[in-house]
Amino acid sequence: MSILVRFFRRFLRYRSPLFLGLLCIPLAQLADVGITILVGNALDRAKDASDAAWMRHVLTWMAVYAVGHCVLRFYQRWLIVVVSRRVEIDMKRELFAKLSSLPFAFHDRSRSGDVVSRLTSDVEAVRMTLGPGLMYTLGAIVIVPISLAILFTIQPTLTLAMILPMLGMGVTMKMLSGRLHRFSVAVQESIASISHRAQENFGGIRVVKGYAREEQQAGLFEATSRVNRDNQVALGRARGLTHAAVNGSFDLTFAVILLVGGLAAVDRTLPVGDLFKFIDLTIKVFWPLIAIGWVLGMLPRAVASAERIQELLDEENPIQDGDSDLAPADMRGGLELRGVSFTYDRGTAPALRDVSVSVEPGQTLGIVGPTGAGKSTLLNLVGRLFQAESGAILLDGTPIEDLRLSTLRGTLGYVPQDSFLFSERYDDNIRFGADGELTDGEVDALIERVAMKDEVAEFPDGSATVVGERGVSLSGGQRQRTCIARALARDPKILVLDDCLSAVDTETERELLGSLRTAGEGRTVLVSAHRLSTVKEADRIVVLTADGAVEATGTHAELLERPGWYAETWEQQQRTESLAAAVESKISTEMGGAA
Amino acid sequence: MSDVTEVDQSELVATKAWDTSLFKRLLEFVRPHKRLFAASFTVLMLLFAGELLGTWIWRGAIDGPVAGAADAEDKGPYVSALLGWVFAYLGLVVFMTVLRYFETATLTRTGQAVVHDLRSRVFRHLQRLDLKFFDGRPTGALVTRVTTDIENLSEMFTSGVIVLLFDLIKVVVVLGILFTINVKLALITLLTTPLLIGVSLAFRGGARRAHREVRARLAKLNGYLQEVLNGIRVVQVFRREERVAGRFGAALDKYFKANKRTIFLFALFFPAMSLAVYVIQGAALWAGVVAITGKSLSYGEFVQFWLLLNMLVRPIRELGERYNILQSAFASAERIFQILDTHAEVADPARPVAIPAASGTPPHLRFEDVRFQYVDDTPVLKGVSFDVPPGKTVAVVGATGAGKSTLVNLLLRYYDVNAGHVSIDGVDVREVELEALRERFGLVLQEDFLFAGTVRENLVMDREGVTDESLQRALDAAQARDLAERLEGGLDAEVAERGATFSTGERQLLAIARALAAEPDVVVLDEATAAVDSATEHRIERATRELLQGRSALVIAHRLSTIRDADEILVMARGEIHERGTHDELLAKGGLYAKLHALQFEEAA
Repeated sequence: MSILVRFFRRFLRYRSPLFLGLLCIPLAQLADVGITILVGNALDRAKDASDAAWMRHVLTWMAVYAVGHCVLRFYQRWLIVVVSRRVEIDMKRELFAKLSSLPFAFHDRSRSGDVVSRLTSDVEAVRMTLGPGLMYTLGAIVIVPISLAILFTIQPTLTLAMILPMLGMGVTMKMLSGRLHRFSVAVQESIASISHRAQENFGGIRVVKGYAREEQQAGLFEATSRVNRDNQVALGRARGLTHAAVNGSFDLTFAVILLVGGLAAVDRTLPVGDLFKFIDLTIKVFWPLIAIGWVLGMLPRAVASAERIQELLDEENPIQDGDSDLAPADMRGGLELRGVSFTYDRGTAPALRDVSVSVEPGQTLGIVGPTGAGKSTLLNLVGRLFQAESGAILLDGTPIEDLRLSTLRGTLGYVPQDSFLFSERYDDNIRFGADGELTDGEVDALIERVAMKDEVAEFPDGSATVVGERGVSLSGGQRQRTCIARALARDPKILVLDDCLSAVDTETERELLGSLRTAGEGRTVLVSAHRLSTVKEADRIVVLTADGAVEATGTHAELLERPGWYAETWEQQQRTESLAAAVESKISTEMGGAA
Repeated sequence: MSDVTEVDQSELVATKAWDTSLFKRLLEFVRPHKRLFAASFTVLMLLFAGELLGTWIWRGAIDGPVAGAADAEDKGPYVSALLGWVFAYLGLVVFMTVLRYFETATLTRTGQAVVHDLRSRVFRHLQRLDLKFFDGRPTGALVTRVTTDIENLSEMFTSGVIVLLFDLIKVVVVLGILFTINVKLALITLLTTPLLIGVSLAFRGGARRAHREVRARLAKLNGYLQEVLNGIRVVQVFRREERVAGRFGAALDKYFKANKRTIFLFALFFPAMSLAVYVIQGAALWAGVVAITGKSLSYGEFVQFWLLLNMLVRPIRELGERYNILQSAFASAERIFQILDTHAEVADPARPVAIPAASGTPPHLRFEDVRFQYVDDTPVLKGVSFDVPPGKTVAVVGATGAGKSTLVNLLLRYYDVNAGHVSIDGVDVREVELEALRERFGLVLQEDFLFAGTVRENLVMDREGVTDESLQRALDAAQARDLAERLEGGLDAEVAERGATFSTGERQLLAIARALAAEPDVVVLDEATAAVDSATEHRIERATRELLQGRSALVIAHRLSTIRDADEILVMARGEIHERGTHDELLAKGGLYAKLHALQFEEAA
């Protein structure tokens, strides 16, 4: 609970609208109660008065109360809910900033769905409870005692008798809330699996049809849908029970009024107007009570959500700026790894063991090895996406921990393995790389440098075209060239290529290598690869073993002479890939020449 | 910036709230569940009757014992009369409480029964549609058809049509009863209720638009968040944390603005409804007091009148909401029926012909002057002819876009030819039943797909003729036995999402095992190009050899070993066969293939 109080402080940033809104609540409720009393009194006097002036008096006051109530209700909701939305925005902004600053190790170990849910459903749960939830609670806290007090002065026994069914309802609601929650979670999950099944089927439709598995798949889908139906029906039953409990106790309250109030009326101790007040106030008291039940039901979830949000905000970031005031301009691009080891949080065995290798400014270092050898890990350590466990990584002789992050990363131009691009304008994706603003001319020059000029010109809006699902979809090779352009946009001293060429066919790779050779001139290049032809020209190649140690270091020629993984894989890759690749690449040119 | 904050306008298009022809089609799905619908309706009717009865009990109790005891000396008989009313009321409460449970439970059951049928039907129908249909649409949009659209319809069944119809009956009946109590009061109510209806309907359009806008903005916001998380490495290495925060902030601001509009509307709606109710109540009170004074209305009647008035408010207040539910349900229904109205062009023939070669014998495949285009005026195959004799392998090589995978599409009848013939044992594939044709094939695709489930389920896929024995043989032949054994639970281990448990090379081996498990007569193999390490490569080569052995095979080849072993090599370019022959013949011919081979050989040496 105390954590919710802590979160409530965020609401206090908007003190004046919040307090004004909160002030509206009791006033609105009082106006509402006022109407009931007016009507009740009017009924009592109806039998002995047919006074037009009195009638006018009653109706005027009723109008005043009614309008007052409505205006206050408007302001109550408007002020409080808007504040709660403002707080939501604040929390999301804060969480987003936190998330984007957290080290990669955090993102690596958490599932993105889980992180997204903290920013969405957790924030919503906290907002609902502290915003509208508080509003309803406060409303109930005001109207329930006031109404009961009024009723108590009229008829104490009846009031006490009325409270009983209400308490009964509260208890039932509390008992049912667990079941309701359980079933609604089950429903959500079964909806998710329906969508997952459909997604998978439509994505793999070639396999489904190729094996004539349409019927089997339809059967599986139907079973999934049936689970959802059954969960929905179970939830419907639980809702039915709740619905029956709430309304049943509501009706029971009326039975109590009929009994006790009726008896009192028969005895002439309760005038009809008072009986009316009982009925009307019961209606007015009952729904706020249900709202309290609803808020109480939400509380445990809100507390859990608040804790999860707080946990994320408290997440520590061990990767901080160093003290050195070197700037990117001071760096030359020489890199040395000394006995670097690293183990992932989730891993048991080290991903890298005692790796030592160095590269002079302007030289190219190739990193190869079998799947899972730690090639990407090594590159991630250089950018301090992870912190090396032991050993040292030196940039121009300075340990990278001593550098400011902006200096270290300002020196690096990174081309990721998955050639990730934002679904934004094509040129914005390239501008993304530069620390300053790029002119259109500079962007065009970069596009030309990665041989994308003609292709970009064919996009519907040229370089202003949006990339991705809602815009033009780029081929693997185009994406990679764009990523290279983005990396070059920051004019980096060191170009880092994380196995970015293995997903393209050999012909595209050849083209890319060509554009990289020009791009890499004067820069240090770190390139990891699956396909050995990618690193053939490197000044030095480091071969990692499957368990992350260095097997050998040398040039392409040196490594070929030496029996081992490199020579073996080279021979095999030549044998398997070259011919088909050559046919693929040359045939169009030959045909083009012949035609 | 526009791309992050822009909203998909198609989300905002309004549709009709009522469409009789669509509704009639939906009724077809209701028919099998007539009884459930009847039950739902009965429950609602009984509940309504109970509610009405309750107001009469109040009236009876007040006008009977309470009023009667006014001047009486002996209160005894009045007290017992009152107790009678109370017991009647208690009985009613019990009855109503039970019904209230069924109200929700039965309505949910009814709606879900229909929705389950509809969802299964749509999915089953989708399975039969052409590959063209799938190739032309984003997967996400299709998923929406069987999720969101169906859920919209479910709401229509559970809280839309029945309840709306019922609410209308309720309003009419209650108004009618009001007239039996006191015509003057009822007239006043009848004159004032349009105010309530007006508020409800006026609010409807705005609320709907505002809600949609909020939803669309929120989807955008969450989409961007997801995107940034996916690209967090890039964001951090480029130190663009502030830039993405700026964009996220801009999207947040738009989301907030949309929210503010919604809050404003709702903040206005509830009090406006209350005010309308007060006006109605005030009018009734005034008329009521006048009538009571004039002795033309009893207290009991007044209380009943008041209670009935309360019964009117809820259905009218929810009128707008119901209208919105109907509207989005009809929009969804339209999209769903659009799918149900789409029919496959590639379908079973009216009089299917059996494939002459019996199961277990490899058939003869033939392409005869085949022409094909996906899009008008862009021919992909320009008259391709070749044979795959029984048990032989034909390897196809050529540049991307040469039409290689189209050959596979036509052979499996993913698409049908525009001209020419694709035949199996002399029978045109279009004359064979689809399932009879495809069950003869073993299929290994480039990006082969693993489904959620166990490894075994993925390999067996519920096919007839796949036994434990044949599966084990297939795993051995595909060099994949140890892959499954390595996992905890072996073959019964669950496959991670999108097959992430296995590397690219391993997935290829499993795909080969999957194809082998049913002992197919024809193999279609699209070799993957991704580089693998040498150990895996050796396994793939061996597995491929096992796969092709003794089967008629069409291979889109990348591996030299596969190409060299093929009985015929087709060198394809721009939709035509450029050279053909065995490896040795092509080398001897001294054509393009030979030149390239020589070039590679020198380079490798």
